[in-house]
Amino acid sequence: MTTGRRLRSDRSLKVVFAVAALVASVTNASAHRLDELLQAARIGIDDGRLHLELDLTPGVALSEAIVADIDRNQDRSFSRDEQDAFVGNVLGALLVMADGRALHLSTDSLSFPAVEVLQRGEGFIRIRAEAALLPATAGQHAIFVRNSFRKDVSVYLANALIPQSDRIAVNAQKRDGPQSELTIEYTVAPARIGATSLWMTAMTIVAMILVLKSAAKTYPHLP
Amino acid sequence: MDSRPQFRTAAVSTIVATIVAGSFLSRALTSQTLSNQSGTTARIAGAAQAFVSTLDERARAKAVYPTDSAQKTNWSNLPTGIYQRNSLRLGDLNPAQRAAVMKLLATALSAEGYRKVVDIMNGDELLQQRGSAGRGGGGGPRFGLDEYYIAFIGTPSTTAPWMLQFGGHHLAINLTLAGNQASMAPSLPATQPASFTFEGKTVRPLGDENDKAFLLINALDAKQKGQAIIGSRVADLVLGPGQDGKTIQPEGIRASALSAQQQTMLWDIVREWSGIMADAYAEPRFTELKSHLNDTYFAWSGPTTNGSAAYFRIQGPTLVIEYAPQNGVDHIHTIYRDPTNDYGAKIAKR
Repeated sequence: MTTGRRLRSDRSLKVVFAVAALVASVTNASAHRLDELLQAARIGIDDGRLHLELDLTPGVALSEAIVADIDRNQDRSFSRDEQDAFVGNVLGALLVMADGRALHLSTDSLSFPAVEVLQRGEGFIRIRAEAALLPATAGQHAIFVRNSFRKDVSVYLANALIPQSDRIAVNAQKRDGPQSELTIEYTVAPARIGATSLWMTAMTIVAMILVLKSAAKTYPHLP
Repeated sequence: MDSRPQFRTAAVSTIVATIVAGSFLSRALTSQTLSNQSGTTARIAGAAQAFVSTLDERARAKAVYPTDSAQKTNWSNLPTGIYQRNSLRLGDLNPAQRAAVMKLLATALSAEGYRKVVDIMNGDELLQQRGSAGRGGGGGPRFGLDEYYIAFIGTPSTTAPWMLQFGGHHLAINLTLAGNQASMAPSLPATQPASFTFEGKTVRPLGDENDKAFLLINALDAKQKGQAIIGSRVADLVLGPGQDGKTIQPEGIRASALSAQQQTMLWDIVREWSGIMADAYAEPRFTELKSHLNDTYFAWSGPTTNGSAAYFRIQGPTLVIEYAPQNGVDHIHTIYRDPTNDYGAKIAKR
């Protein structure tokens, strides 16, 4: 074994013992989520946009594995590239469909706690992502979300947010047992023509009639 | 002689007299309520000022924060050692100062609310006595009566907005006061263990919440249960710590679809949370919550036999209550929010 490898091996052992000691101390007196990754998703539906908020909270027993997933160069910090790569893996494990059509999620914002905070089982990773929806046509629609990221250790929460637009109303939320899948059924109301729009339309028609009448008088030979 | 004009005059006089008397009574009651609220705010501010006056400069810096401080949202269900609260720790106070804190809580909360807070803290003390986590040192979680923290966001006042923040493991009370108005949202009463013996008596800090909810779900008929029960597991609070400003789509059965008796049972559950703050504030809050009957929902996830671990949520336009057992029935998380008035957002503007 090379010296470098031995050092890494010693370091790994120390980390394992430290985590084991921490887990033991927590387990003895408390029953907070230790060996599960809580993934809480909230989905907002807007005119033409879908907003996804996803919080990942690893239990203390899992935190070192999650840290290792993110901190690929093992420098005990999360660089922007490492954060982006991790978020790419998370979003890659999500299937989001609108009326049966797969959507492409793009990262809007992300926040990571410091390594030591995550190791203490305290912090959570927050991802905000968006996808474009086809222009909302009046009628029934459905969004389907399936989260397959780290299914082996995850528990899920999945909820629709109240839509900001008063044209959109969520009718039902259907989930599988563990909430790794959520279908949001919603209705889009017909676009209302406002009083101003009606007034402008009427004025335009009147103006066109007047122009045509004037043209007919000026050029009587026109057909 | 025709008696009709006399009758008409008497009837009109009676109606006018009733309206005038009703108006006076209503004004008198409103005035009495406002007076009660102002008096309560004065007592709470007085108790807070009395406590702050006992602190030295260093302790005061940990206890009193500016109104725009990020400390406002620095609360959690997690214990010290896993979560850093930064504010003033009870274990660092002398006995007189600790007594002053408890006197302040007794003033700010209803008798039932104060009992609940003390029971939650005693449960945590039991965890400390049973457990192996280091007290006052080490890197692991720390439990017990010493590990509760107090802070004031803003200066205690009878007129200007300020917030009393008290909490620790399984407890967060965020009480915003603004003159004669108050909001206790968001707050997190939770417990572990859920049942224990203290001074020879069985204590269940959130036992009434649990039992009343099971009574309601079992009072629903099959059709109502079909509307109320969510067919999936809810693993934890959806709008717990760190989820400020979110409004999720309500689910479950509408309160207006419940019978009068079932509605009474629902409001009885709501009171377990809304009634934690002092009665003078709790009563108007309760009246306001009841005015949203048509838009209030009750949702349930899990078995319906009392003694099982089941999640429930009560949600209205100005209310979110969640009750979420963690891996069994001995460890309960709950949350109480007002999406329109968390941290007193609404009353602080007035």
